[in-house]
Amino acid sequence: MLKIRNLYAYYGPVTALSGVTCHIKEGEIVALIGANGAGKTTLLNAVCGLVRKKGEVIFRGQEVSHLPAERLVSLGISQVPEGRQLFGPMTVADNLELGAYLRYGRQARADIADDLERVFRLFPVLKERQGQVAGTMSGGEQQMLAIARALMARPRLLLLDEPSLGLAPLVVENILATISRLQDEGMTILLVEQNARAALKVAARAYVLETGRIILSGSAQDLLADRQVTRAYLGRDYKEFTEGR
Amino acid sequence: MRQPEFEAISPEELEILQLERLQSTLTRAYRRVKLYRRRFDEAGLRPEAIQTLADLARLPFTTREDLSENYPYGLFAVPLKDIVRIVSSPGTTDRPLVVGYTSQDLRLWLELLARLLVATGVTPEDIVQLILPPGLANWRRDLQAGAEYLGASVIPAATLNFVKELMVMRDYRTSVLITTPSLARHLLKVMTSLGVAPAELALKRALLVAAPLPQPMRRELEESLNLQIGRAYGITEVMGPGLAYSCDSDLGFHFSADHFYPEIIDPETGVVLPPGEEGELVITTLSTVAFPLLRFRSGDKTALNPAPCPCGRTLPRLTGILGRVDAICSVGGIKVHPDHLRALLREALGGHLPPHSWRVAEEDGLEVLEVSLALDETLFSDEVKALEGLCRRVRRHLQDHLGLASHINLKEVKEGETSLV
Repeated sequence: MLKIRNLYAYYGPVTALSGVTCHIKEGEIVALIGANGAGKTTLLNAVCGLVRKKGEVIFRGQEVSHLPAERLVSLGISQVPEGRQLFGPMTVADNLELGAYLRYGRQARADIADDLERVFRLFPVLKERQGQVAGTMSGGEQQMLAIARALMARPRLLLLDEPSLGLAPLVVENILATISRLQDEGMTILLVEQNARAALKVAARAYVLETGRIILSGSAQDLLADRQVTRAYLGRDYKEFTEGR
Repeated sequence: MRQPEFEAISPEELEILQLERLQSTLTRAYRRVKLYRRRFDEAGLRPEAIQTLADLARLPFTTREDLSENYPYGLFAVPLKDIVRIVSSPGTTDRPLVVGYTSQDLRLWLELLARLLVATGVTPEDIVQLILPPGLANWRRDLQAGAEYLGASVIPAATLNFVKELMVMRDYRTSVLITTPSLARHLLKVMTSLGVAPAELALKRALLVAAPLPQPMRRELEESLNLQIGRAYGITEVMGPGLAYSCDSDLGFHFSADHFYPEIIDPETGVVLPPGEEGELVITTLSTVAFPLLRFRSGDKTALNPAPCPCGRTLPRLTGILGRVDAICSVGGIKVHPDHLRALLREALGGHLPPHSWRVAEEDGLEVLEVSLALDETLFSDEVKALEGLCRRVRRHLQDHLGLASHINLKEVKEGETSLV
């Protein structure tokens, strides 16, 4: 579905990614883990056409590295950005409709209404709250709304940036279950997480980024067994685990 | 097929998998292993410079000498506390070559062994008997672990004599025999002399490892033992068996190219040769964590065939192991480097090394090392007992250090001769 070769990304004079090669197959959940500043979000932004980059990005057989973000959305790549980035003062329903804005004029309103129903089936809580102002919902609900909004663009590939950030453990479980459910419906997902343990629970494979380069890749099971990964990225969880006893 | 998603992978998928794994291996090696960092720096390269698989040819080779020089832990890419297994094999000097494994390396290794055994036709229902000499300790341990991982019933290698081995084979209803080509021939000789017919055994398959198997010998063994033969290729420095294995089509060894990147080079010039041409096999690890090896010169001569196999596997094939490009010789599968042998002889003889020669001889289908030593002034004694003791000492030293049987001949030196050939 997605093949990235020798991808470089820059923020001004700073090189944030230096030659990243990775791939995602259709229907897979792949996690991208690494410390703060390793380049995880940059990689998502580079795929979405949001940062200056060099290298090859092939999406469903088509070279897309030169395309602007809105073209990428209409080709089927949607990002759920870190921190949700909802339109706080607007209602849940309005936020969802905005997710489909690229489709207006091209497709019938009825189609969008269908999708709205599908999204409500996935997230019943959003149906109950469709009239509520987005900014007044809980963190978990906002995250669901952010994912739901991305789904309204009918993506084939969903890029999730830190969906568990700032959420209580139980809510994280809920979000993870949602991600698995999306996979069951055929969605392909690239998941960026600092919470490596959570990411490796739902993803089959993962890449480990360290200062702009992939230094390790493998099955989630292998990476959970890797002591360097355990020390570097699962350390906090371990501490919490032992301190909780 | 154990892992069809990898063993029958499409060329496009294989290419990106190899490239991404290669790049992360290079990055890890560069960041964590001093020797590799120095090699990159000397070549004026950074890991990022390798943007395609072909770019790998820009990096220098790694040799067995590099492994010796960095004895024991110099090439490990993880802290020692992450290492769960340390394996040594004889090198070119008296320093062994040391390879470390993390726990996920061991998991990969077991999976590769399972691939190999499944390709040989081993199933969890089989009774697998190993007959391998102590000198092949690594093969013994690896294949035993792999067969157990697969769920077969395993009879580990013992130091039984062949009559006992044969009894076990018949009475325990062994269905798969794992041994070396020369031991398989020896077994056949023992069977003939004891009057045991193949029909009395339950053998269905044999996996013959650690040494080349010429076609005529293979046919002879398959016909007289009435079984199907599988083969495997592996070197201890690169995870041992499971590196490459034969299938039912028997058109070479499928190379686990999803975890190891193969190149065939001209051993003289170091230039990478196109598919089909014979040269030295050079291996780069793609997945191992503890012990990344970049462009390791195996010393084995072979060719690479990338065409898909009738068995359905798409992993490229080594079209047979055609010999060595270096001076290492194989005695019943045990690799012996001339320098190492010379060092051992010198030790056994108390620091003195007279003119000498050696060859691999066959005895009842078994390969033995035959060493001839010139009986010069230092070694000479007019007591037969002392000379016998000398031979015994050398024989035991070679047995202890190489784990192989040898014959020691003492030869008188003629006037003016300086070497034995």
